[in-house]
Amino acid sequence: MTVQTASVSLLEVHALTFLRHDLPVFAPQSFSLCAGELVWVEGANGSGKTTLLRVLAGLLHVGTGTLYWRGKALERDDSAGEILYIGHQLGLKADLTARENLRVAAGLHGSRPAMEPSQALRELGLRGYEDEPVRRLSAGQKKRVALARLLLLPAALWLLDEPYANLDRVGTTLVNRILGTHAAAGGAALVTTHTAPDADDGRWRRIRLGA
Amino acid sequence: MTRWIPLWLHRLSSPPTFYRFAGAVWPWAMGLALVAGAIGLYGALVLAPPDYQQGDAYRIIFIHVPSAWMSMFIYAVMAVASFVAVVWRIKLAEVVAMQSAPIGAAFTFITLVSGSLWGKPMWGTWWTWDARLTSELVLLFLYLGVIGLYHAFEDRRQGARAAGFLAIIGIINVPIVHFSVNWWNTLHQGSTINFFGTSKIAADMLWPLLVLTLATKLYYVASLCRRARADLLALEGNKAWVHELVAPEPAP
Amino acid sequence: MLRRELLLAWRRRGDIAMPVLYAVLVTVLFPFALGPEDTLLQRIAGGIVLVTVLLAMLLTLDAMFTSDIEDGSLEQLVLSPQPLALLLGMKILAHWLTSALPLIVIAPLLAAMLHLPGPVIPVLLLALLLATPLLSLLGAILVALTAGTRRSGMLLALMLLPLCMPAVIFAAGAVAAAQQGLPWLAPISWLAAILVLAIAFAPLACAGALRIALDA
Repeated sequence: MTVQTASVSLLEVHALTFLRHDLPVFAPQSFSLCAGELVWVEGANGSGKTTLLRVLAGLLHVGTGTLYWRGKALERDDSAGEILYIGHQLGLKADLTARENLRVAAGLHGSRPAMEPSQALRELGLRGYEDEPVRRLSAGQKKRVALARLLLLPAALWLLDEPYANLDRVGTTLVNRILGTHAAAGGAALVTTHTAPDADDGRWRRIRLGA
Repeated sequence: MTRWIPLWLHRLSSPPTFYRFAGAVWPWAMGLALVAGAIGLYGALVLAPPDYQQGDAYRIIFIHVPSAWMSMFIYAVMAVASFVAVVWRIKLAEVVAMQSAPIGAAFTFITLVSGSLWGKPMWGTWWTWDARLTSELVLLFLYLGVIGLYHAFEDRRQGARAAGFLAIIGIINVPIVHFSVNWWNTLHQGSTINFFGTSKIAADMLWPLLVLTLATKLYYVASLCRRARADLLALEGNKAWVHELVAPEPAP
Repeated sequence: MLRRELLLAWRRRGDIAMPVLYAVLVTVLFPFALGPEDTLLQRIAGGIVLVTVLLAMLLTLDAMFTSDIEDGSLEQLVLSPQPLALLLGMKILAHWLTSALPLIVIAPLLAAMLHLPGPVIPVLLLALLLATPLLSLLGAILVALTAGTRRSGMLLALMLLPLCMPAVIFAAGAVAAAQQGLPWLAPISWLAAILVLAIAFAPLACAGALRIALDA
């Protein structure tokens, strides 16, 4: 057991591409993600940001290249549960309440949640909406419910696809704060967005996709 | 020698090699298929004597039986290729499996049609719910399901894998269906029609049958080669070897 | 997971009634088409109820994964550290509980409407109890295969027909045998044997199929 330092590499990516109809969606990517690092994936629409995230999450097959998780070739069985992916589709059931949705997520994850669902919802400013069916929430509120999963489930690497979409300014700062806390606790995150995230925070690194 | 064969297979599974190999094979296979088909048909329609019970109508057996064998043989090929495609994601296996399906479906259809044409004068009905007939019909549905599923996907390789999965499930299913129909039919009506009879097949009827079987096999090989070549070109349209093929002069 | 599915189904209780209503309507149509003769109806009652129930289930199978795909829940399922086959097994069980069980409850009523003799009804129910989970399991594999496609309704029926034929044959065989006073245990045991195999392997196959279908 090595001592956890800021330079421990969680995820290493070597010459990764994804092929669609035998054409690479994005140019080969090589980077590594260390504990405590936040990476901003930048690129125009259609440059493959979402695809990159989905490949890293294990939803899509690696085209060429290799992935290493904590120094070993990535096995989905090892990394499952340590990587948390939140995509465009939030994975919330519209007929369930916010609290029920989070409980389902915790149940699926299989570990003891880091905090109570209601507390996670409070942190995201959804006090009073816990027992509202998700279908009645606004787009931004739904996003917040999905992001509450980040607080609930212990995962080292967060893969967030457009976490700022639909959020107001308060929400944006909130996400930045959550990401900061996560990084400070030794976690890492890969975030796609069009607008630069919290630029003042020195932890952010940038990856550019596309031509 | 034992190391040489896997190596050769491995080489062959690369699309450009297979493309050239198939291109060399298919004219031969097609030519031999035509020759064998002509000889077989001559033997079947002219040389073979009429059956003392069934008269000339039995000659449909020369179409029916080879097609029936092919319908099952092709399904087996398709299932094996599908297995390889699903497990190892080899592109050529996907192509072979998916391009076999329409040929197999055609043979299954021919089998059903010729069988019912034969059945009408022989047993007085176009169709009976006999185990063999029903299984063949199920086989046709399986083929159609595989083809339909393949075309339902936008991504053709993904469609090939999904349809291949279905083909594998299907091959587990066919024996169960055959068995259950057998059981079902004997329950409902005491006697099943034994349409292959116990009568020994005469040698001068047998050889055209075997020659025609060979002809259908060769036709399958030739047809598969051609279809696979076309499909490979479409799939690999972006690869360098296709560009070289299409435009031998260096492209701008 | 099971609780989630049941809760979801409960929130949409109206949908559960649909297949039941469909089954009732189809069954009511048969006497009109065939004439109200008791003897004829009696002879084919078992088969009609079976086929009606299976068709009604087919109606619900199609929607098994659609909502999960649309809202991204399926991605979360696939990424979950729990074994996917287990989760899908739960989902299939929930599907059976919500769509097949109501149909089985109503089946005696349908059978009685078609004058199926009373002593045969328990056999019919037993056959349904074994055949419907089989259909849920096999159907789930096929629905998973079509998960990545747009149009799937008719295709699903085409693919399911060959697969569920043995189930129909044995279930109908048991009912027919019971009606003629013959021993009906053999087809029921065959049905049970197939079901056991399906319970063991179908969730795994379903997981495999889903992975193929989702991968773009």
